[in-house]
Amino acid sequence: MSELIEVGVKLRDRALREGFEEAAVLVTHTESLMVKFANSEPSVVQRWSSREASVYLAKNQRLLGTSVPVGSLEEAYRLISELHSLHAKVPPSMLYAPLPEPEKPQPLEGLVDRKLIDVLHDPSSVSEAVVEAALRHSIDYFAGMFQVSYERKALVTSKGAELEEEATSLKMYIRSFAGEGSGQWALGSRRFDLQRIEEVASTASRLAFESRRQEDVPPGKYDVILSPMVVGNLFNIVADMATASSILMGASIFVNKAPGDKVASEQLTIIDAPRNSELPGSTAFDDEGVPTYSKPIVEKGVLANILHNTKTAAKFGARSTGNAGLIFPRVWALEVLPGGYSLDEMIREVREGLVVTNNWYTRLQNYIEGTFSTITRDAVLIVRNGEVVGAARKMRIADALPRMLNSIAAIGREVYDIHWWEVDTPTRAPYILFREVGTSKHTA
Amino acid sequence: MSWEYEDLVLKAVDYALSLGAGYAEARYHKVARSGVATRNGEFIGLEKSFREGVAVRVLVGGALGFSSTDTLTWGGVKTAVDEAFAKARAHSKLMKHPIELSHERLGRASYEALEKKKASGVSVEEKVAYCADVWKHVSTATTTARVATLTMSLGESVEEKVVANSDGALIRSRVPRVSIWYNVVVTVPSKGTVQRFFSHAASGGYEWVEKWDVLGYLPGDVKTFERIILEAVKPPTDRPVDVVVGSEIVGLMVHESCGHPSEADRILGREAAQAGKSFIKPDMRGQRIGSEVATVIDDPTIPGSNGFYLYDDEGVPARPRYLYKEGVINEFLHNRWTAKVFGTQSNAAARAMDHASEPIIRMANTYFKPGDHTLEELIEGVKYGVYIKSYMEWNIDDERWSQRYGGLEAYLIENGELKHLVKNPVLEITTRTFYSSVDAADRNLEFYAGTCGKGEPMQGVPVWFGGPNVRLRNIQLRVIA
Repeated sequence: MSELIEVGVKLRDRALREGFEEAAVLVTHTESLMVKFANSEPSVVQRWSSREASVYLAKNQRLLGTSVPVGSLEEAYRLISELHSLHAKVPPSMLYAPLPEPEKPQPLEGLVDRKLIDVLHDPSSVSEAVVEAALRHSIDYFAGMFQVSYERKALVTSKGAELEEEATSLKMYIRSFAGEGSGQWALGSRRFDLQRIEEVASTASRLAFESRRQEDVPPGKYDVILSPMVVGNLFNIVADMATASSILMGASIFVNKAPGDKVASEQLTIIDAPRNSELPGSTAFDDEGVPTYSKPIVEKGVLANILHNTKTAAKFGARSTGNAGLIFPRVWALEVLPGGYSLDEMIREVREGLVVTNNWYTRLQNYIEGTFSTITRDAVLIVRNGEVVGAARKMRIADALPRMLNSIAAIGREVYDIHWWEVDTPTRAPYILFREVGTSKHTA
Repeated sequence: MSWEYEDLVLKAVDYALSLGAGYAEARYHKVARSGVATRNGEFIGLEKSFREGVAVRVLVGGALGFSSTDTLTWGGVKTAVDEAFAKARAHSKLMKHPIELSHERLGRASYEALEKKKASGVSVEEKVAYCADVWKHVSTATTTARVATLTMSLGESVEEKVVANSDGALIRSRVPRVSIWYNVVVTVPSKGTVQRFFSHAASGGYEWVEKWDVLGYLPGDVKTFERIILEAVKPPTDRPVDVVVGSEIVGLMVHESCGHPSEADRILGREAAQAGKSFIKPDMRGQRIGSEVATVIDDPTIPGSNGFYLYDDEGVPARPRYLYKEGVINEFLHNRWTAKVFGTQSNAAARAMDHASEPIIRMANTYFKPGDHTLEELIEGVKYGVYIKSYMEWNIDDERWSQRYGGLEAYLIENGELKHLVKNPVLEITTRTFYSSVDAADRNLEFYAGTCGKGEPMQGVPVWFGGPNVRLRNIQLRVIA
């Protein structure tokens, strides 16, 4: 029995001895390192070591939970005991459903790359490679970071599940500055590949250089090609809206939709992809021990699946989709299926429009209607008559998600693995051309 | 209180110095949380959790190393110090501008925020019943519209820290906080929906929950949301108008367009790939950004505030910071690194979210200084315009220059009187336009709670932001179509 399983078993058994009827314990041990850059040099090197447990507890349909560090279990035991004394004082949970019977998830191959563990211990050569790659282009300076992590997790439940998994991950992004311009690119992977790392730095610097001279573009409706960075940001929101919890909480454009309803252009398929072991977020089992599987959220424009754990599934009269967090369902990793266009071909489809390479600060006025705005940052390329003719100053995309999902004209054939601040769920996405997108800008 | 780890913290600092660190700092940091969550008055779950650990920072050859562990033994902490030291030393060769810290008079003190009514002393039954009661009153408040969803949580936390560094600081602190968060959706199926996310939070005890009185005001708010769906019309967008901006929006505006761009680390580019840079450049202190009415203060020392502290996480004593003063860029938010770069003193803005976070420059409680008008006088002074009281959508560019706020509750003003509701007005202006267009502020000072995000990994820290209602002249509005 591994050390993590042992901790899980101890906490589960303690909970059952206290009198809880059900318990699920997720124990994680994470070793992680990040080198952060600013002004073309390291601003800080950060290193984390953590061992934590998240504990789900149920008795008489009351749901309670805790998360604690497990350096010492005494505090965890004390909290479990305290929670037991509280359970009779709360009503049954509207979300209660029994934990699922254990199944045998098919292990995922390729979740660990030992080279990333080596970088965790000795990152300086990667730091040097990042600096060199970013400064290879004509830029003023760059900022960004790379983070490598090695995580082991164990799940123990009162139904008898005892599961373990280990995984490595790389998350990185670089933002380069040149003149008036800037460019940013990102990567999320479970593997170490120095060439891909250098390409991130190189792409950021190239975009900065291409946008170094900018002009104002008046706000209005434009055909807009969104880069995988922007697609990742907006589709992270869309995917999160497909979780049953978002629908229950009134924070989703799918509140009044059901699987089978048309919600997007036929070309669009978005997949929750926990079995894609190249993407961080991939895992063989969820937090209830249910085997994960890849499933479309939107398939050829049709809402295909609401994402569930056993609790929300019971509420909706559905089956778990293997997306359990301990209380609410979650998205693991996203894939947007590629289309048939190269980026150049997509640009040739645009008479007057923009290529938006990055965005941030997406906020919604109304989650049910999907009205939102987001601000471009970094290179916005101006397209006229099928050619890039310059770069635009910052502006907003101000539109509604349901309308945009239905206005897709072309999807790129190259996909990119994105993971950064604004794309929290690792996402494999192509460039996508949207027609008649609303843009906005300050009035004074 | 968790002073038991003080020895571990002091030993970590000594050990880092013995390795050869030029500066060493260690912080024991614990955040314990509990809360209940409900939907439409029904109980979802109860959580009671905590995180704790020790964070270490060292300077080695001008490079900064940070390490964090939740293994609270000398072995665990010693490994963290070794890691921070080794990784900093390995990167010192890449440093073109070695990091140095300003000399400061650092504190040796203990303090805590007081709870008048301990949140932990209020039964969980009472907290769950409160949420159910709010639903009961909210769900029956409307006549035509339906309240589709009210998700609500009631939480409390206690943050405890012991901060020590090699320059002599030793600060122990304990700050309890309480919070309420809700999302309400009001719908008339044939006409649309209005949605309101809102949170209250403060340091102190359960007395705040009683003061906020969600049960008292939310049914009335929901009635207003129903009226917005049924009655609100398009706001004037055909010409510039005067706009009275509600304190809720003013608070957010000063946080976004004064507080953030005044962070000296942002000005120096340290957050350039994350939260971005600043339109304020290092040499812009003394330059005019707005009218003489525009004074913005950030003050960590306000009792009861969400962003309350008396010493920052580098041991520097806190004080109010006058960021914009009478329309002039006056003072930046500093930690000891930026203070050294700018040749000034730190004003105690270094704060970390938890033991796994490095201290970085943060706002605390940022507010627009109130004026001498009443709200009625502000409105009376408008011939034709809009009063925007609250918002949902907002954002600002990464240099904090172009900002946008989507109004939620808003009214047309004609000849100095409030008229009918207008729907989805958008204030989309530059920072200079906002501060330059303010011609009057009222005497009210309302604070609103938020969790401010910054850093990598992202750190969300508790803040307040606030202000009076203010009047802007001659603003072109937009509308969410």
